[in-house]
This record gives sequence, structure tokens and C-alpha cells, in this order.
Amino acid sequence: MNEVTVVGLLVDVVAFGLMLYLAALGELIAEKAGVLNLGVEGMMAVGGVAAFWSGTEFGSPVIGLIIAGIAGGLLSLIHALVAVVLGGDQVVSGLALTIFGLGLAAFAGKDYVSLPAVPQFGALPLGPLRELRIIGPVVFNQSWLAWFAVVLGLGTWFVLERTSIGLGLRAVGESAATADTAGRSVVRTRVIAVGVGGILAGFAGAYLTLNLAKGWSEGVTAGRGWIAVALVIFGAWRPGRTAVGALLFGGLLALEPRLQTFGVNISPILVSMLPYVLTIGVLIIFSIQSRRRPSVAPAAIGRAYRREER
Amino acid sequence: MLGWHLARREQPLRGGQTRAVATGMLLALVAGAFLLVLSGENPLDVYTTMADAAFGSSRGWSTTLGRAVPLGLAGLAVAVAGSMGLWNIGAEGQIIAGAIFGAWVARLLPDANGFVLITVMLIGSVLGGGLLALIPAITRARLGVNEIITTLMLNEIIIRVVRYLVNGPWKDPNSAGFPQAPPLPAQAALPTLFGRANIGVLIAAGVLAGFGFYASRSKWGYELRLAGSSEKTAEYAGISLRRKILTVLTLSGAIAGLAGGIELTGSSSRLVEGVANGWGFAGIIVAALALMRPSGVAAVAIAFGAVQVGGLAIQVSGVPASIANILQALILFGALIAGVFGQYRPVRTRTTSSVTAAAA
Repeated sequence: MNEVTVVGLLVDVVAFGLMLYLAALGELIAEKAGVLNLGVEGMMAVGGVAAFWSGTEFGSPVIGLIIAGIAGGLLSLIHALVAVVLGGDQVVSGLALTIFGLGLAAFAGKDYVSLPAVPQFGALPLGPLRELRIIGPVVFNQSWLAWFAVVLGLGTWFVLERTSIGLGLRAVGESAATADTAGRSVVRTRVIAVGVGGILAGFAGAYLTLNLAKGWSEGVTAGRGWIAVALVIFGAWRPGRTAVGALLFGGLLALEPRLQTFGVNISPILVSMLPYVLTIGVLIIFSIQSRRRPSVAPAAIGRAYRREER
Repeated sequence: MLGWHLARREQPLRGGQTRAVATGMLLALVAGAFLLVLSGENPLDVYTTMADAAFGSSRGWSTTLGRAVPLGLAGLAVAVAGSMGLWNIGAEGQIIAGAIFGAWVARLLPDANGFVLITVMLIGSVLGGGLLALIPAITRARLGVNEIITTLMLNEIIIRVVRYLVNGPWKDPNSAGFPQAPPLPAQAALPTLFGRANIGVLIAAGVLAGFGFYASRSKWGYELRLAGSSEKTAEYAGISLRRKILTVLTLSGAIAGLAGGIELTGSSSRLVEGVANGWGFAGIIVAALALMRPSGVAAVAIAFGAVQVGGLAIQVSGVPASIANILQALILFGALIAGVFGQYRPVRTRTTSSVTAAAA
């Protein structure tokens, strides 16, 4: 194993990790407001195809990112309408959103399969930092979308923990009736949270098709939306811990295709199970812990709120 | 402020769910038509081709019924758990587990006669689905771990198990690059019922009818629904929730596993990665539309079978088959929306000032 392969691996660990992080942050924001959205996989797929189409059409990754965000956000509004405004079941609505999103993406992307992605998110102009040994390529030469993901993570932490907007959002996710009594609009807060989650899932899709998979194909999301859902649990609904989990799961994604070249004689398919196995393990640990201290999950998650039925 | 809110109707609209599903289908067809027009197709032509393929001939009917089998069993699996308020999102994975166990039986008994082999394969598939569901069942019953997430994660795990098997230890040495297991022995194929439908149709119909009858008449079924409507009442009535959760989730997985076994012996003729084909996820929509009732599951499964057969038919003329999945999801959204308006009516929100004004 020489330095080139190790650096190549680490570059991918960070890139895959931050792609997952974008989607997981979106899900975290929605869940913090009390809305489980199992539509991440579908929103990522639609974001991915939207980014591929618009990025190629206009020759600009920025436009690709914006259109992907709009597409993911619009799709999430279906979930917001059905599960939040009308109070339908969050589980069914979210799963239907994934089925719808995957179908829509396959439908819209039928002419783009196996075409090369033209524009990519480039690196920031960090000059000599990018030339540093190991840390240059692994950190400073990452695309600006990777940096953007880090900024969004810090921003999410700040808003959730340090501002009244975040306090209101968490209150809605812990006890909707209390938040309502305190004058916070539960429906509006949740719709916005779900919408932001959709935009971020769209961003993750753009990252995936433009920079990582470098193209569109049906099934390009390959279960990564479910990893994002898992990450929120793994990270105990906290932006910081979720980032650590994202790097770990991103590391597993990056390791998968390289195992053989590293001379490790384990099937990469078996390694690709690990994120899900770890998540089940973490859930079990949380459940055992929650007997002694309060649960880490937002209390109102999964429950619709209707004012006259509180 | 939005200016509107939903108030519960004193009496829900008559015909409730049937009306909601019908409205959902109508809304889905309209929304689907928009998509088709956008992509330059004539929606009327597409829908006619789809309906004709699904119901226009005895061959079409047999294909539709054949597709309704995994949809109906997966729907029943979700509904069994759902009637107790549990979500089995893992039917997709349990179908795969059932198919893996069925294929394993066929590897162990390649020379058994057809009847014995098929019977043992189906029993194996029931065990396979049940065993996989035992993980969320035990963790939920013993530790209170959310079964939605565990079943969801197990889907992703088991699909990698089958991928590993058909790429590695069980790979057919004669199928060059294709990741698939060797063909099943010839006598392992389920006998044909008519056209393209096999006797899996009868098995599924029997399981659905049997379960529907038993659940509506037995103490077990009553306790199930009681536990679903109120855990406290159920515990007060002396029902062990833990044991109920354990048996119901495992039974749910076993039913989905049977779907995998029928799929394996009935149509795929060998184990492949895509054996579950999204039926487990579609089954969740089926169960939700049927409000977790077995009779409704059968009806919705046939309708969804038709949509899928139609989707395959239009693929030939260049329209992506994914329109079938799009339509299924849209039916659900439409029905959820219609269902809400069946129970609630929109009323204008009175602002505080108008209330005071009225009081004065």
C-alpha cells in the first residue's frame, strides 16, 4: 500500500462522507421538527437527475446545484402536504415519496443514462495549501461543495442549539402541543423543516451525479438515501456526531471498491452491509440506555399534529 | 397563518376508503397524464394500452393475477403488523430471505419429487422470512427498539446477502458474467393454473381468505385489533403485549417470506438479486390503501398488479416502465389526501379578534 493509494482512499472518504452528510443533515432537521421523512432516497435521485440535466445543459455546476435543490425541495413538499398539513401517516407518505422519486428520476433521466457528466464542482482557490503533502489533496483540494457541506453542518448546529428559531423547531419536535400553546405554528415550522430537508437531499444528489458517480444511471443512489436516514440515528440527532458517523460510513463506501487491491480477502459486498448493521447495533444501545436516561430521539417524531385532538 | 384548518366531520363521508382509493386513482391518472404529455406521449393511448394489456385478454388477466400474488402477500404481511399498530417496512427483505431459504432447500434436495420439493421449499421460505423478522420482533418486544428502522436496515442488509450469494458461493458457473444462481431443478416449478398464472394464485388467495376469516372471528384477531387501538386497554385486558409483538411481527415476516418462495418456484426459476422486485415496498402502499384489511388487500393488489402489467406493456413502445411505480405512489398520495377530506372538512380559521367580535 503506497502513499498514492492511501491518499486516493482518504480523498474519497471525505467526499463520500460529506455527500452523505448533506442528505443526513436534511433528514436531521426534519426529524428534529418531529417529521420522519423516508423519502430521502427518492429526493436524492430526483436531485441527482435534475443536477445532471441542468448542469450539462447550462454547463454550470452552480446551476446544477440550484436546480437540484429546487427539485428536492419541491418533491419534499408532497410529503409536507400529505403528512404535515393534512396529517397523513408519515411512514407511508415518506416511503411513497421514495417510490415516486425513484420512478420520476428514472422516467426523466431515460435519455441521460451512461452519458458523461460534464461540469464538476471544482476546488477552492487555496493556493499552496492544495500542494501540501497528504492533507493538501485530502482536505484542501476537495470541491467547494464539500466545504459548503461543512459550513451547512456548522450552521445547522448553530441554528438548532443557539437561536430561538432552533429552539422553536426542537420544541415542535419534542412536544407540538406545548409549542403551539407557546404561539409557535407547528405546521409552518414542520413544512419549512421538511422543505429544507428536501433541498439538502437534492444537493446530495447533485454531489453524487456530478462529482462522485460522474454520470446518471437508474439506481445511482444505491441505498445511500437509507444510509442518510441511518446516519441521523447513528449520530443521535446531533449535527456533530452525525458528521463523525458520515465520515465513518463514507469511509466504508470508499473502502468497498478498494478492498481487493489492498489484498483484503473479504467480499466488498459484505463490507457494504456494515453501515446498516452498525445502525441496528447503535439503536439497540440507545434503547438499553433509554431505560436509565431520557431518549435521544425527538419525542414527537412520527406523530401528526391536529390542534383539536391534542 | 394559513387561514384554513381541518375540523373533524361529525360523520365521516359514506363509502370512506373505497371512495378515497377511487379518488386517488383518478388523481393519479390525471397527474400521470401531465407527465406523459410533458414527455411527448398521448396519455389516452398509453392508458388504453396499459388497460388492454392487464385486462384485455385471458392471458392479460393471468399475468395480472400472477403479479397480484406477491403484492397481495406482501400487503397482507404489512397489514398483519399494521392492524396492531406496528410497521413492517421489511417485507422487501423478508421476500428475499424467503427466496434464499427456498433456493437453499432446492440445493439440498435436488432429486426430491416435485410435490415434496415445492412443499419443503415453501416451508423453507416461510421460515426464512419469519427468521429475518425475528430480529426486529425480539428487539422491539424486549428492548423497545423502533421496528420501522430495524426492518428498513435489514432490507439493505439482506439484499447484500443475496448479492453476495449469487456473485460468490452460489453463482452459476455456466452463466458467464451474469450474477445468478444455477437454475432450479425442473420439477421445482409451480404448476400452471391458467395462462401465465401458476397455482401461487390459489395459495395466496387461500392465505388471504384464511387469515381474514381467522382474524375477524378468533380471540387472537380481536386481541390484535384491541392492542392496535389502545395498548393500555389491551394490557388491562390481560393481553401480553410483548408476546403479541413477537408473534405478530414474526408472522408478518413469514407471510412475506412465502411470497418470496412462490416467486422463486413460480416465476424466476432461479435465485437472482432482483427476486423481490420492489414488491415489499409496494406491499406497504397496498396495505395502507386497504386500511390493513385482508379483503381490501386482495382488491388493491389486483389493481396494482394491473398497473404493473400495463407498465411493462408500454415499455415496448418506449415509455419507461417506471410510470407504473409513479402511478402507484400517486394513487397513494391521492387516496391519503381524499381519505383525510373524508374524515375532516376544511373550515376557515377564525382569528382571535373575530371571536371576540362575535362574543361581543
